[in-house]
Amino acid sequence: MDKYCLNEIDSVPIKCTQDIVISRQKGRELARKSGFSVSEQTRFATAISEITRNVLTYATEGDCHLFENNLDGYHMVIAQIVDQGPGIDNPKLAMSDGYSTGHGLGLGLPGAKRLVHELNIDSTPGKTIVEIIIKRRVYG
Amino acid sequence: MNKIPILYLNSILIASIQTELTDEEVLSFQSELLTKNNNLLTKGVIIDVSTLDVIDSYMAKVLSDLTTMVKLQGSAFLLCGVKPAVSSTLVDMGMMLTKIDTFQSLEKAFNFLTSNDRKYQ
Repeated sequence: MDKYCLNEIDSVPIKCTQDIVISRQKGRELARKSGFSVSEQTRFATAISEITRNVLTYATEGDCHLFENNLDGYHMVIAQIVDQGPGIDNPKLAMSDGYSTGHGLGLGLPGAKRLVHELNIDSTPGKTIVEIIIKRRVYG
Repeated sequence: MNKIPILYLNSILIASIQTELTDEEVLSFQSELLTKNNNLLTKGVIIDVSTLDVIDSYMAKVLSDLTTMVKLQGSAFLLCGVKPAVSSTLVDMGMMLTKIDTFQSLEKAFNFLTSNDRKYQ
């Protein structure tokens, strides 16, 4: 996940459900400033909402970092949601529709993946990073 | 503590969700809505989400549950004003919400509930 140099724009600690709202508002605002469409802003904000809620459900607390990056002719907005929880045992299984170890609908991770261009999971017990990326072509 | 005003007009409860709510706020809204609906014996409940930018799976589940709960109480449940970006996001996530009766605007939902030839309940 450190394959490129990231420009950190903002960071939100996730401790209570109010922080879910703050994270997604900041994510949405960054996507708007970066020139993404209303639809993409909404998708990105919704994906952040899903992943940060997972932090509160499974790991009690964490952080949401927001970045901007330019790479290979693409402008990207990235949200990295980090927690120190028990980790995701089987990321592949966690990505399948309807699978949940909590009491949710099992749509959080797979649903969020369908909303953004990339969703990467790097999980070990004690540290989980979920990275969500939206990107758009920059010409010239 | 619920911070969304729930208005009563022509035997209908109307609430417009205009700010983003935390999970706890959504639940206290749900609880107050159900209590009011029970006390006032309404024809129906209309929830307006025309200024809501994000409906995530949690909010969608609450709306879906509310539909069932309000219908169990014998009232209709109508949702109106779902934004285009919100509707496409919900479908892509896999939240179909087909159980909920939706209308384009508060006016249409209100007219539907108050019209005399309404074959619905």
